[in-house]
Amino acid sequence: MTVVRLANVSRSYGEVHALRNVDLEVAAGRLVAVMGPSGSGKSTLLNLAGGLDLPTSGTVTLEGVDLAAVKDLAALRRRSVGYVFQDLNLIPSLTAVENVMLPRELDGVRARQARAEALAVLEEVGLAEAAGRFPDELSGGQRQRVAIARALVGERRLVLADEPTGALDTRTGDEILQLLRGRADAGAAVLLVTHESRYAAWADRVVFLRDGEIADSALLEEVR
Amino acid sequence: MSIRYGLLALLSRGPRHGYQLRQEFEASTGATWPLNIGQVYTTLSRLERDGLIRQGEADEQGRVVYEITEAGRAEVERWFGTPVTPADRPRDELVIKLAMAVATCPDALKVIQAQRTASMRAMQELTRAKRDTASPAQRLVLDSMIFQVEAEQRWLDHCEAVLREEQS
Ligand SMILES: Nc1ncnc2c1ncn2[C@@H]1O[C@H](COP(=O)(O)OP(=O)(O)O)[C@@H](O)[C@H]1O
Ligand SMILES: [Mg+2]
Repeated sequence: MTVVRLANVSRSYGEVHALRNVDLEVAAGRLVAVMGPSGSGKSTLLNLAGGLDLPTSGTVTLEGVDLAAVKDLAALRRRSVGYVFQDLNLIPSLTAVENVMLPRELDGVRARQARAEALAVLEEVGLAEAAGRFPDELSGGQRQRVAIARALVGERRLVLADEPTGALDTRTGDEILQLLRGRADAGAAVLLVTHESRYAAWADRVVFLRDGEIADSALLEEVR
Repeated sequence: MSIRYGLLALLSRGPRHGYQLRQEFEASTGATWPLNIGQVYTTLSRLERDGLIRQGEADEQGRVVYEITEAGRAEVERWFGTPVTPADRPRDELVIKLAMAVATCPDALKVIQAQRTASMRAMQELTRAKRDTASPAQRLVLDSMIFQVEAEQRWLDHCEAVLREEQS
């Protein structure tokens, strides 16, 4: 079942064609990775897939809904999309668990339940013991995992991650991929941007972007 | 194997004699694979036997000049169109193929991309195997192979960046 579909999508910023005629879909249970040099349109693609930006032409459909026709995009995003930003965006004055609770509280979930959900996800990412710490009391890898927990909380159907392995060492990076892969295996659609092939290799499909266009893609054959 | 295709690729640019081929082959591969002239002529006579090249006129110094046939051109295209798999002795074959593509093939970027896709598939398979194994030792062995393919991917990225720079 397709969770997000980009159909003939282009996005220009004035003269700059950031994305050109891109067709891509991510089904439930799939991890798709986007690779490409800096400036090739990876972040643009991710922002369009998550409804943070709208295409200049073409359509983006999220769970069957054309995003161009949605009045309250922010609400749809909060309900369906988890986003791990390139620069994490953790709130320094909130503890790990409070950061993770925040999107659920914005969803209207009561504090008690939001906290319980947040603790469960922190446990899933291996950070149960760090729940009460502030971002600056965490290591780089731990902060990254808090940001991922925040994207995973509330059973988002679509998880978007822009370079979530940042400058982590390869073992910690693999742990992050393990988490994203696990979410896909549990039924979410996961779209990952990375410039490192070893992390892209966790995906079912790897899409290569060049100058805003899909140059090729590598598909992992299913085992039967 | 790659010497055969390397010489054929060089001949796709126009007729050449044996010494010239040796010199250009070494120049294209950065003299990493020195050839002796005997190897060059043995390879040329096999290529001729297989109908991929033919002897043309001798040049003014009486040296035999070889030229590529239609079948030879098709063979070069097929070679560039087929990514190298780890089973084909990766390093030499891949490096020679890319050096030749950059030197002789207008579609070198495509050759690089096809290779990148093929080696990404190999890395996806290795990563799946790593996910599926519970043995830490086995995982480290797979990691070692993944790091090797990763190095290859980085090298391909580098080849592409250099080629784009040259083309622009
Ligand atoms: N808000 C923006 N305004 C103008 N140009 C932009 C904007 N966002 C991205 N671009 C341009 O679009 C292209 C693709 O950018 P981006 O998607 O960020 O690439 P990547 O994430 O692959 O590095 C680049 O040339 C970039 O400069
Ligand atoms: Mg980016």
